[in-house]
Amino acid sequence: MNKMGIKWLYQELPELITKGILTKEIADKMRQYYGEVKSISKTTVMLIILGTIGALLIGLGIILLLAHNWEQFSRFTRAVLSLVPLVIGQALALWVLWKRPQSGAFKEGSATFLSLMVGASIALISQTYNIPGDTGTFILTWMLLIIPLVYLMQASIPAVIYLIGITAWSGTHGDNPVTSVLFWPLAAITIPHFIWALRQEMYALRAALFSLAMIICVSYAASFSLGKTWPGSWVIIFPSLYSVFYFLGRLEVNKITTNWQRPLRLIGAMGLFILAFLFTFRYIWQYLDEYSYITSENIAGISALPDYIVTIAIIAGALLLFYDKVKLKNITISLPGAVPLLAIIAYFFRGQSTILPVMIFNLYLFILSLSRMTAGIRGNNLAVVNTGMLMLAILIIARFFDSDISFIIKGLVFIIVGIGFLVTNAILARRMRGAK
Amino acid sequence: MNRGLIIGLFLCLSFIQITTPLSMIIRRESVLKAGAQFKFKTTPVDPYDAFRGRYVALCLEENYVPAVKEIKLSRGRTVYALIAVDSQGFAGFTTAAVAKPSDKPYIQTKVLYVSGDKVYLDLPIDRYYMEETSAPAAERIYQEHAQRGKQDAYVMVRIKDGFAVIENLYVGAQRIEDALRQGRER
Repeated sequence: MNKMGIKWLYQELPELITKGILTKEIADKMRQYYGEVKSISKTTVMLIILGTIGALLIGLGIILLLAHNWEQFSRFTRAVLSLVPLVIGQALALWVLWKRPQSGAFKEGSATFLSLMVGASIALISQTYNIPGDTGTFILTWMLLIIPLVYLMQASIPAVIYLIGITAWSGTHGDNPVTSVLFWPLAAITIPHFIWALRQEMYALRAALFSLAMIICVSYAASFSLGKTWPGSWVIIFPSLYSVFYFLGRLEVNKITTNWQRPLRLIGAMGLFILAFLFTFRYIWQYLDEYSYITSENIAGISALPDYIVTIAIIAGALLLFYDKVKLKNITISLPGAVPLLAIIAYFFRGQSTILPVMIFNLYLFILSLSRMTAGIRGNNLAVVNTGMLMLAILIIARFFDSDISFIIKGLVFIIVGIGFLVTNAILARRMRGAK
Repeated sequence: MNRGLIIGLFLCLSFIQITTPLSMIIRRESVLKAGAQFKFKTTPVDPYDAFRGRYVALCLEENYVPAVKEIKLSRGRTVYALIAVDSQGFAGFTTAAVAKPSDKPYIQTKVLYVSGDKVYLDLPIDRYYMEETSAPAAERIYQEHAQRGKQDAYVMVRIKDGFAVIENLYVGAQRIEDALRQGRER
């Protein structure tokens, strides 16, 4: 149920009571069940957004002005001038903490401004003294200097800047997995803030924005830092990662939710589908060992340990969350999370034959789309039925053009899909008759 | 958390935030004041760094040392590049030491890569920042002067305890800023 729906329901309740359709007790029970609809006023939201954008623009403007590198000033004057934006940012943030500690807009805006000014100062001093371009060290220094702001000022944009920053830092060490794997403990620093943001205003703008940044950054960082120890391990790591996203987005902490307010669930599920779809192509398994990215310096032994720990933690997390949902016997919800498990099976059997992994994932996607369709039919939700149909259509079209597979297997798959369609239609027709 | 504690912690953070860039300034100013001066010849290499404004990209003519068979140097290894000055007054590197030298001038740096009998160094002298509009013109003048046959572009570097800070960029015995001004007046 979404927020708007509940709001509408609450507006209707008094009339329903007066007309005698509902008793007051039932109406109260309904209110209790759905809970209070907390809505921040539109002006406050606008103030936060505009304030933050304003702070961002002014901050970037100051950076560009100083980046001109004014020749008229002496080196020392320029260096001292570089510190001015930082001091202004700190003074502003201090004023907000002192005078407006309750204002989310002021805190978010001033923390964002200060975060940018820290980076600006360091960059401008690097310019003044011709400091060599070591992007990695610059970014890491900047990020470590701003992360406390996230907690002291309860600000989410600095947390987003921090996530992007440490991802970029991890990218600059892409050829050195021993260093880039440090992304994971660095990213973990933001988790308490994330949980706080979720508790504050579940699935509101702040949490949605942060989740989105988290998904994108973690995905990039995973490709920079993980899977360098054993070839082809990405086929297990990425499904596990997206499975964790999906199940975290599934957590029922609040009934009020739409897809866009739950990027974790939406993108997690989409990512899992795309990965499973990729795994239905034979070439993925055929060239897995040959085309896997191996660094110039192979890491092994003790230096590979952090990589293993993070990888195993992600995979174990995905499998545990999956098991947790399977226990509840909710197939529709748990099924998307089966991809990591199937990928593990496929990964270990790919040596015997490349057909087996392909078969597993074709069958899996077939069952997945079927389960979505039946869930949609059961819940009378046309959108869910349609996504199921779409998934199935994508699968069928792909197999039709996939000339890699022999005619016999292609024919068999087509027959199975055809039977599936007939069965679905039969069930649908029977249900509809039953409804009449 | 109460307000007083938050403000106290914020003041601590502010102190660290301001000390970081300040220490960068102080370290470099001290080298520029007390460091020994060296002239390094440069060769032509204008990338654009949107964040840090415009600069002239520099490349030292001698950015390597001969490899020594006994010492195996791998990429990223910290080395101390010993400096010697030739008869014309230009500085160059003689060897890459693994231990910190006590009596000779040196730059602390890292091995970039090893190619044949040469060990290439990742020297901290790779860019000279200028005013936004001047940098492209300066880059042209620099490229002209750094070309083969002419080769009178050099960079003045101050070094103290292995830490190098660029002081000025010279083309034809003139500071590049002056050469640029002269070019404009003509």
